Amino acid sequence: MSAIAAPDAAFLIHGLGGTQYDLGSMHKRLKNAGLVTYSLTLPGHGTKPEDLATVAMEDWVDAVVSKYREIRDQHPVLHLMGMCMGSLLAAVLAEREHHAKGNLIMLAAPVYIDGWATPWYRSLRPLLYVMPGLPQRMKIEEEDPFGIKNEQLRAIVKAKFERGENFHYRWVPLECLRQVDRLRAMVMKAASKIRCPTLIVHAREDELTSLRSAHFMVESIGGARARMVILEDSYHMICVDNDREIVAKNVLEFVGAALPGAGSALANEPRMSAQELTAALNAVLAKLDTGDLGGLRELAIPDLSWVQPGVNALSGVHVGKSFAGFASRFSALGNARFTAFGTPVFNRGVVLVPTQLVASNDSARLESPGALLFAFYAGKLLEARWFADQVELEDAFFGKPPAPDSTAVALDAAFVAAAVEAKTLTRAPDNATLLELYALYKQADAGDVRGDRPSVLDVVGRAKYDAWAQRKGVSRDEAMRSYVALVEKLKAQEVTA
Amino acid sequence: MGKVQTIVVVALAYLALGALSAYFAYSNEGAWGVWLASGFGLGLLFVRERSDWMPVLAGAFLGAIIFEPLVGSSAFDSLVYAVIEVAVTFAGGAIAAQLSPPPIRFMSPKDVGAIVAGAFVLALTGAVIVGLWDDLSGKPEAWRTFRVWLVGNFVGMLLVAPFVASWAQLRLKRSGGLTMSSFAGGAVACALFLICLYELFSASPAGRFLHSLGVGLTYLPFVFFVLVALLWGTRGATLAALIGALIAISQTVRGLGPFVGGDGIFGDTALNAQGYAAALAMTGLLVATLVEAQRVAAARAREWKTRFEAAIGAHGLIAYEWAPDSGNLVVTGDTMHLVGLPAQKLSTLADWLACVAPQDRDSVAARFGQRSAGGAADTVRYAMLGPSGARPVVDEARAIHDHDGELHRIVGIVRTAAA
Repeated sequence: MSAIAAPDAAFLIHGLGGTQYDLGSMHKRLKNAGLVTYSLTLPGHGTKPEDLATVAMEDWVDAVVSKYREIRDQHPVLHLMGMCMGSLLAAVLAEREHHAKGNLIMLAAPVYIDGWATPWYRSLRPLLYVMPGLPQRMKIEEEDPFGIKNEQLRAIVKAKFERGENFHYRWVPLECLRQVDRLRAMVMKAASKIRCPTLIVHAREDELTSLRSAHFMVESIGGARARMVILEDSYHMICVDNDREIVAKNVLEFVGAALPGAGSALANEPRMSAQELTAALNAVLAKLDTGDLGGLRELAIPDLSWVQPGVNALSGVHVGKSFAGFASRFSALGNARFTAFGTPVFNRGVVLVPTQLVASNDSARLESPGALLFAFYAGKLLEARWFADQVELEDAFFGKPPAPDSTAVALDAAFVAAAVEAKTLTRAPDNATLLELYALYKQADAGDVRGDRPSVLDVVGRAKYDAWAQRKGVSRDEAMRSYVALVEKLKAQEVTA
Repeated sequence: MGKVQTIVVVALAYLALGALSAYFAYSNEGAWGVWLASGFGLGLLFVRERSDWMPVLAGAFLGAIIFEPLVGSSAFDSLVYAVIEVAVTFAGGAIAAQLSPPPIRFMSPKDVGAIVAGAFVLALTGAVIVGLWDDLSGKPEAWRTFRVWLVGNFVGMLLVAPFVASWAQLRLKRSGGLTMSSFAGGAVACALFLICLYELFSASPAGRFLHSLGVGLTYLPFVFFVLVALLWGTRGATLAALIGALIAISQTVRGLGPFVGGDGIFGDTALNAQGYAAALAMTGLLVATLVEAQRVAAARAREWKTRFEAAIGAHGLIAYEWAPDSGNLVVTGDTMHLVGLPAQKLSTLADWLACVAPQDRDSVAARFGQRSAGGAADTVRYAMLGPSGARPVVDEARAIHDHDGELHRIVGIVRTAAA
């Protein structure tokens, strides 16, 4: 198999006082679309708000410039994307580095801090800047509406703040705003020198920065290069608010990325040669022939979608994490597997393969002919659909769908919630606990350990592999329960500490 | 703020406010029209835990013992006044803390009650001690001392303590709080309030019924002041009340304004001005606090609604409440997913029935008819027409009766069912 050309990449920059949470699911969506994503934690972030008091705007600029230079030559195309203050940094970066290797995406750029919820004394802050010691000590707090219009999301964010979770600082020092003001002034000067295509996404009701900011950027960059998208149902945090799908769609379109799904795979170039496509297909068929559906995850995007027809225990659309459960049920029900593959038919990134689904148990044997349709993009499997010629054969063999098991649903929900909680621990656990968390998560998410054991030189990778291997044979439910219990214990320790 | 800083700040504030109070003294009688100095310490006690009171009381003691010699008191008298200052400030703060534990957040009328009670106890305690002291010392005007101390302190506390308590809780925000439009509206109202008040209290007694706007403006300032309290909240209301009251008192002691020249209801010109100032302060506090209480209640109601919608949304449920007498229907839940319409579009039973699959429509209508006749709890299965075709649902209804057992409402939960 020939090597696949380096994929496109995107460099994502978070906002003031924030983390990658600011960008919602943009990392995952871009990865699903075949892009490599990069991010960084800006100086003064990811620890405690007091650490921002000594950070200058130049530190942030230097950090993004340094990261940019590190990754620039690794990809044919590199897009820059920032949220809030991150978008100002992205703009400065684009101008300073004469960025021409990709596009610039500015999400909710606060060129002017004049949104409808900004307090009346916002214009007085320069007076406070000159008072000795005050900018470092004075706290500027985040409050309702927290940049979010969706009340349910806002309630979640509020609860996170009240629990003291570390996804966003509850306050920033006044000094920080002074640095943002300096950065805004820099962007105002630099905007007209930006030469790359730019997408500006801004909410009409942004409570922090009005549409004036978006208009300024479009006018400065020029209508020929700048494109503006106005959102009608969000506040400032546009990547997590009501219009997040519109944001994602526009961003993906702007970077020319394929959206997951067979339809878009037909509409887009797969960015794979015929040989590469054949090799990728063969790797997938090899997994299916052994009944190792779980193994497909190594060959697919994180949100791999599998469509199984009929009304039986395997039916449904299984996407992302739910695919892991489907894959284990698939193997458990009569050692099901696909076999007798026919000649594949290729159309761009989509392949149709005649095949047969076979399974057997003590009393019956299933041989269900049909065809599998696969969609590939940039070397990864995006989606698979099974078309059975006689789906009633499968319904009869696999039996009716199980009644919803409230315990299982609750466990799944608790596991997902614990996975989120684990990322918000304010104190990093010791290495042994981290390995335990990793191993339990992998066992619950992907089943028994797979792949080669990393070499002795890869100390961390080897330790993680070994920890996962120690859980071999532990059921998914048991792994989930243990994981949830461990996260709860760690959170409880934080509370009592 | 550290302990030493607190002591120094309170002492300096005491001196500044004491000097301001001296400026407003009865020019012709040498008595204090309003005593503002104790208000700073009392205001800080309103927002601090009791364990944090000591630096504030120490600052008040320091301020008093420096201030008294400046206005002619002997060293012994100064010491006694400073001790009294500490005692009365503590008494006022303790009473307020008993009624509404600190920090007072101006969120309920109880908070206003605590502030008024704290101010009154401070004033009364001081007036009793000083009145008795004068009486026991054989001074001729002990009763007058008691009265002047009581009223001057009470008004001063009402003006300064809530001002300090509300501004001490100011937190600068990146977003949220008072917006620029509310600020601008409040600024206009505040300017009109102060202009009207100044005009009212600038009228000379001789001319006020002839060529002055004064009398006509007697009540107008309150209208603008209430607007200030509505738009600016507690901080704005206490600021405007303080400035307005000082204008009223200073003009009155200069022999101007509506209370000069007549007996007034209290029979004393300055006392009438003090009463006006107290009314102003309490009106502002009450209006701003009630607005805040309403805002908090609305926020809590929104939180409940959000929680309810999240709970039924997570379970894929639709909840409805139907009033058989009016035919009104209130639906909550993800109706877009089920029937392709927002919940607001399903405001009558007819709207609901229009979404029921044609083959089930008559039977569902009949079932609702039975329910309106007071039928017991029931469960019915039917199909609803949605964006992706007909969906089977299970509708579980319960009747709510009034105290006489008459049917009041039908409430139900609808969930999708397996085909």
